[in-house]
Amino acid sequence: MEISKILNENELLGVISNYDTSFKIEGYVKDLNVKNILQALKMVLLDDTYLDKKIEDLTLNEQFKIDLMLKINKDIIIVGNLSKVLNYKDIEYFKKLFLKLNNDYHKKIVIIDRDVKVFFNLVKDMVVLKDKKIVYETKDFFDNELYQYTKIPPIIEFIKYLNSKNIKINKTVDIYELIKDIYRSVS
Amino acid sequence: MEVTSVTIVSTNLNKKILDKYRDYHVIDNSFKLEELLKYSKIIFFNVFNDLEKEKIKDIYNYLDSNKISYINVTNNIEEALLTKYLIVYDKENILIEGPVIEVLKNDKLLKRIGLSLPFIVELSLLLKDYGLVNEIFLNKESLAGALWK
Repeated sequence: MEISKILNENELLGVISNYDTSFKIEGYVKDLNVKNILQALKMVLLDDTYLDKKIEDLTLNEQFKIDLMLKINKDIIIVGNLSKVLNYKDIEYFKKLFLKLNNDYHKKIVIIDRDVKVFFNLVKDMVVLKDKKIVYETKDFFDNELYQYTKIPPIIEFIKYLNSKNIKINKTVDIYELIKDIYRSVS
Repeated sequence: MEVTSVTIVSTNLNKKILDKYRDYHVIDNSFKLEELLKYSKIIFFNVFNDLEKEKIKDIYNYLDSNKISYINVTNNIEEALLTKYLIVYDKENILIEGPVIEVLKNDKLLKRIGLSLPFIVELSLLLKDYGLVNEIFLNKESLAGALWK
């Protein structure tokens, strides 16, 4: 996969792709080979009651967390489909965790998702992957060409709509910055 | 007979939710539109994640015109705006249900269980707090129309 070639430069990379990241490990959580498993479970928002659960019986949300727990000590962490399996609160938590792992422990993190919103305030670079080849690269969440490959996040769609009506609103992915701009515009 | 058009939003997608709807056919993978005609009641389980809302609307219109009832189970609250009725599950239990706009007014309750609001609803609520609009809007056109009259 070409991702490995650009990882040296991009330590937090957003990948837009249908790449299959489904979890295939079975068995009891307690049998997984993880150091300090209680601490590791806590880090991924699970508690000790999960030790006696079978991975195949867990929900997609819980399986994602177990999968991440197994990867957390690797130098390069590749995770996928956050938007498909996690709720909003979990996504925000894991984004903070990824930033901390990147800043404090210099881990390279690749986040594969079809929803660009997951990358807000997290990655500086995004690539579109098709048939394991990079077909597009951008740093700009407002890049029109990016949305030929995936759906547009509502905040970007709204700002682009306002701009198309000649209402001058600055590009932002922060709802509070948008509100300030709207306030200035209508006052 | 009225056609059911419901979104179920869950904090932790679990197929146990589907046990309550045994008379519905479950679609949990890619599908062809024509194959939906074989069923009178369909549950979509986390399948619209990659689709633009216009495409989801097209599917719903197709089902409506063929008098097929449907429930969409998702973790994406944005999809709630595409049906009139919304059921919110916290894990395996119903937390709240009702007409979409009425359910979404419970923003503090939804956030407490880890859900966000659809972007345009959240923006409306915040702008309402600042006294810039008087109501909650469900689409960008009507919100923009109210702000820049």
